Order: sequence, then structure tokens, then C-alpha cells
Amino acid sequence: MVERVLEIGGYAAGYCGRLFARAGADVVRIQMDSVGPAWASDEAMSAFLHGGKRLLSSADGQLIAELANAADILIVEAQTANALSAMDFDGFSTPVKLAMTPFGRTGPKCNWNASGNVMLAMGGYTHLMGDPDRAPLSLPGHYLEFQTAALGYTAINACRMAGQHKVIDLGMFETLLALSQFTSVRWQCAGEQRERHGSDFWYVVPSNLFVCADGWVYLNIVPSFWDPLTVFLERPELLLDSRFLTNDLRMENREALHAIVGEILAPLSKAEIFARAQACRIPLGVVQSFAEVLDDPHLQARSFFAHSNARDVQPWRIPENPYCINGERRTVGLGPITSEQVPLWRA
Amino acid sequence: MAGVNGPLNGIKILDLTHVWAGPLGVRFLADLGAEVVKVEAPYGRGPQQFPSTPIGGWIGKADPEEPWNRNALFTKLHRNRQSFCVDLKQADGRNAFLELVRVADVVIENFSATAMRSMGLGYDALALANPQIIYVSMPGFGATGPYSERVAFGPVVEPMSGLTNMLGYGPDEPRNSALAIMDPVAAVHSAAAVVEALRQCQITGAGAYVELSLHEGGVTYSGPWLLDHQMGHTPVCMGNRHPNMAPHGIYPCLGQDQWLALACVDQMQWRALCGLIPGLAQESDLQQRQKAADDIDRKIRAWTQNQSKAQASELLQASGIAAGPVNGAADLFADTQAQFRNFFVPYEQFDTPVPGNPIHMAGLASHQWTQCPDLGANNHDVLSQWLGYGDAQISALEDAGVLFNRPPD
Repeated sequence: MVERVLEIGGYAAGYCGRLFARAGADVVRIQMDSVGPAWASDEAMSAFLHGGKRLLSSADGQLIAELANAADILIVEAQTANALSAMDFDGFSTPVKLAMTPFGRTGPKCNWNASGNVMLAMGGYTHLMGDPDRAPLSLPGHYLEFQTAALGYTAINACRMAGQHKVIDLGMFETLLALSQFTSVRWQCAGEQRERHGSDFWYVVPSNLFVCADGWVYLNIVPSFWDPLTVFLERPELLLDSRFLTNDLRMENREALHAIVGEILAPLSKAEIFARAQACRIPLGVVQSFAEVLDDPHLQARSFFAHSNARDVQPWRIPENPYCINGERRTVGLGPITSEQVPLWRA
Repeated sequence: MAGVNGPLNGIKILDLTHVWAGPLGVRFLADLGAEVVKVEAPYGRGPQQFPSTPIGGWIGKADPEEPWNRNALFTKLHRNRQSFCVDLKQADGRNAFLELVRVADVVIENFSATAMRSMGLGYDALALANPQIIYVSMPGFGATGPYSERVAFGPVVEPMSGLTNMLGYGPDEPRNSALAIMDPVAAVHSAAAVVEALRQCQITGAGAYVELSLHEGGVTYSGPWLLDHQMGHTPVCMGNRHPNMAPHGIYPCLGQDQWLALACVDQMQWRALCGLIPGLAQESDLQQRQKAADDIDRKIRAWTQNQSKAQASELLQASGIAAGPVNGAADLFADTQAQFRNFFVPYEQFDTPVPGNPIHMAGLASHQWTQCPDLGANNHDVLSQWLGYGDAQISALEDAGVLFNRPPD
């Protein structure tokens, strides 16, 4: 039986619903007047998030309650704990209910006003990004919302699989804290606060962004790749250079090594560098423009982009889920199957 | 040996993941009640002597007696697991592993695209042992395609996702997050993929091969920008500004490297900000504010730089404006919200607090959690309880050098 999912809220709710739509669920999204400012146009956000869903523009509380009570899964994203309560979230009888809020449903900040940059700052990300002598950088995009949503999707499916009726309280702040790399343990266990160092990963050298003839490339040379890096650079004598014998020494002599790498890469093109990296098997990525990402031969060979089949829109290429099951991309058509006459899921 | 209480009770996972993305994804599943056996290589936690202090320090005192068991970063990622340390390159080790596969629900690994196949443990071999197995593979660039044999780590995948076009101080000053941010993207999606495949298996009774690419996780994240680009409005890097909010930035506060994040999400918040900070034009709409962004930012800076980030945050929040401190590590532990919700949990050895589970629901409780096990600590239990091996069988494997409980000399 196809599961019935009711989705209410912004970009986290939208992404969670997107995962359900691609898994074959019947997702009805309640369209709201405003779900907060996005990092892309409304048209792009809608094309990315809402393909395969049915959209209902209604603020009719009774209708929403009727849909919620008939749904198997309720996904709600609210700006604060109080806003969630005002939606009568607790009154709905949906078997599995997910509440996504910035700070969770309890605690002294559960009604704080939030935005993506505020959450990323409070969650420890912003402190670590950008140059040490300048303002830290906030991560652009909807990382916060999409990550929270994917966790919510996991929790919902776990409950459904177990046949458990549950209310899930998922705070975005805690999601960020849970996804920290080593910030918290480094502070607790090494007594050192992690700091920002521009694009330099810092703890393995060289790991940085380097300019080349037509753009930028990123090297991430963990110690086991030092030997092949010297081959890649066509400077095998670096293996014997006393400044660079170990990662600790390379950290001490970071600037000298960066200068050598930078000088070698500067006249080369991204394509030349990328090809040479593959031949030498070193971890290297090139900075791709959006056009280059869309035309990337690897992504094309893997059929990563779905092509819309909607009748009245351009054939956009839409990024699919980053996972596939049994080789299937869980694609859905672009654009909502709009209907003001959503058939109710009457029990 | 069952997992902690949770909706995934009864699900058995063999976890062969390493570094960050894989272990983090499995941690969410373990926190939800799955019974997880970490299948570890003898050198999986490093050698007997570490050349230097690990990046996250040591759990407990410096210079620990068993450094491979006290690596704080590893420990943080591996609660609620059993450790089974086996040499899969030996026939007896591989056979024992395949027997575990027969009674498991999920196998998950994040090696290179060819590593498991080269050991004779690819999906085909595992499905032969257990047709219902969910096999999750997480190679950096996926298992197919022209880049599939490339070496991939989070920081090198990031520039190929499109994100670097947007992250930086401006279009000519791109930056890498230097946080390997594609790893946590892959981590949460691996957990999502596992439960989706399990549910599918629950319905069809068939196993599944799940493939997750670190690279595609990043490109998915850039999805709205990629669509905008196709629609004719290519997004550009704006530093700390936002295309649909103004003001939106990071502002200096009192003290060395102390900052505040602030955003006016709507007109109401802007008007409230005008009531706090002198010289701002209350009637300005978004477009006008974007045009005057330099001047507005200057006035906000003049206000924030004379206050602590905590004080400024409280004042702005009291007026209904989205604002908060840029927290460093120490601030995270001191945060009243994290403390109120008991997010950091001191259950590990030496009461070291580690990040908890953001998923709150009835029936989940961190007091049941188990510490990260020592290497090979559960070799005996896993073989006896999952496979019914007797003491003599287990001793034979130990004597043959197939099982380990410390890295080899």
C-alpha cells in the first residue's frame, strides 16, 4: 500500500517530502504563503523539492487536520516551538509525526528566531570557515535544512518499519552539533579549539585550494599520498627533502611546500591537472562551475540528473538522490502535479 | 548483545566503514536501536604506537597504554557497537565473515569501488550467502563511471559539487569549507538509504544493493543552484550576504575573534532592528536594503562591536530578530540550549562528553548507550551469539591468527 505523507513547512519539510516522493509515497504538500527566504529562486526550489508531490494551497485548519489524521506520516517544519504548537501539531492523530524546528521543542531557546546563518554560527560551523584574519564565513545553501530532513526521514522510516506510533522532535541546532567532525572532542580531549584556516584543511599538508591557468584545484594529501604527490608534481626529489619527510614536518614548512605546489600548478589547466591526478592516483578535485557540473561526463555516465518530463516546462536536469537502490534512480517528474482538488485520504 | 532500545531493534548490521562518513551514518542507526558489529581489520585503528597525537586527542590521559583504543575521534563515532576484529584476507576470516552475513540484515562499507570485490566480498558474493542482505557501498565517486577509480575524500569532492562557486569572500575569492562537509552529507544519506532499503525488503522480501556516492551527495546539495543556473539566473558568491535577505551577515563583537550572526528574515524583523540600531531607515524594503547593504552593515558593526556576542544576541532576540553568537568549541558545551536538552553525553570513559543524538522520541535514551568497545573486545561474543561457535572453534581462529584484539607487532 502506498504511504500517505502530509508535508507542511519550509525547505527541510520539502526535502524530507522529496525523499518520500522518490521512494514512491503519495506526498501532499500544504503550500504556504511564505516559507522563508531561499538561496535560489522559488521556481528552482520548487523544481528541486516538489516534483512528484501534490500541492494544496489552503490555510483551512479543518481540511489540514482531516488530511493529517488520515495520513500515515506527518512532516512539519516550524520556525519555533510555539509556532509548532499553534498548528495543533499535538492534536493530530497521524501514526508517525516529525517536528523539525531550529532548536527543538523544549529548552530556553526553543522560541528563538532563527535563520540558516544564525544556526550555522551557533552550531559551530561558521567559526571554522574562512580566513583567520577576516570575518568567518557562513556556509551558503540549505545544508542545515536538508541534513535535518534526511535524519528525519531516517527516523520516520525506522518507526514505520517497527510499526511504532511516535512523535519525533528534531532540532536543527542539535543536528549540526551531531555532525561535527572533531571540533568537540579536540576541545574536550586535546584541550585545543579548532580554528579556521581559509581553504587549508591544516592538519594534513598540502590540503588547500591552488590557482591554475583556468581556475582552481583542491589537493588533499593525507600522509599515504605524499609519495605519489611527488610523482604528480614531477619533483621526486621532494621525497628526500628534509623539510617534508613527515606530515609534522610538512605542517612546519607549509608555506614553502604550498609555494612549490602553487608554482607547478599555476601554468597548467584544470583538465591537465585532473588527468595527471588520475594517472598518479592522488586525491584532487577541480573547482567546477555550475555549467561544468551539469555537463560533467561522470555524472552523465551515471544518469545522475533526471530530465523533466512535464509538458509545460523546460527540460531541466534535476539532481537525484545521492544513493540508488538496485541501480534504480528514484526519479519523479519535474514539477508538482498541481491540483486544487486533492482527493482526501479519507479513512 | 542487542542494540540499545529503539525502533531498529532486531536489525543486525555489519559495519565495515572507516574514517568519517560511514561511521557517522552507522552511529545514527545504532542510536536508533540497530545491533551493530563493527568488523575491523587488525590495523583498522592504526598501529600499536601512534606517530603523533591523533587529530581529536586521546580519551583520557595523554600517552595511553593502548593508543589504538583511546583515539577520541574514533571513540566519538563508535558508541553502541560490538567490535569484531578479523583478517578478511585469510580464508578462515572471510568464511567467518560470510557466516555473519548469512544472519545479518545489512552490510555497509565505504572502501574504494573495487576493494570488497578484490577480497571476493562484493555484493554478488554476499548475496549468494544471504539473498536478503542489504549491501551498502559508499565509494567516493560511486561504483561506475569514468571517475569511479579516482581517490575521493570530502575536501576534493566539494569543489566538484558546485559549492565552491558560492562559498568565499566573493566571486574571485573562493574558499573550500575545509570541513570535509560532503562527508556528513553522505553520512546522513547513508542512514536514510539503509532504512529505505530495509523497508523495501520488508515488503518484497528481497535484498538490495545500495550505492551511495560522496560526490553525488555534494551535487544534490547544490541542486537548487544548478536549477537556477539552467533557468537563466546563475547564482554568484556573495560572501556572507544572502540573495533574499538583507541585512544578512557576520559582525564583530567585543573581544578577540568574537562574532555575531544576524539576519532580517522579513520586514518585521527589519523594523525591529531599526528600533535597536540608530540610523537605519525603517521603511526600506528588501531591494532598498540590498542596495544600501554596505551602509547598513557599517551601522550594525558600529553597534555590535561594543557588546559581547552573548549580550548582542540576547538583545536582538528579545526584539524578535534572528541572531546568535558564532560559537567556538568551548561555547558549544556552554550553550544553555544544548545543556538543557542534555545533548552532550558524558557516558564514555573518563566521563568525556561526546555529541548525542539529535533525534528525540519516546523510548530512546542515552543512559542505555554503551561505550566504544576496545578493538576485538567482542570477538568471542559475536561468534558465539550470532553463529553459535563453541569455545574450541573460537580458540582455533585465535590461534591461527585470524582474530585479533590488538594491532599486530
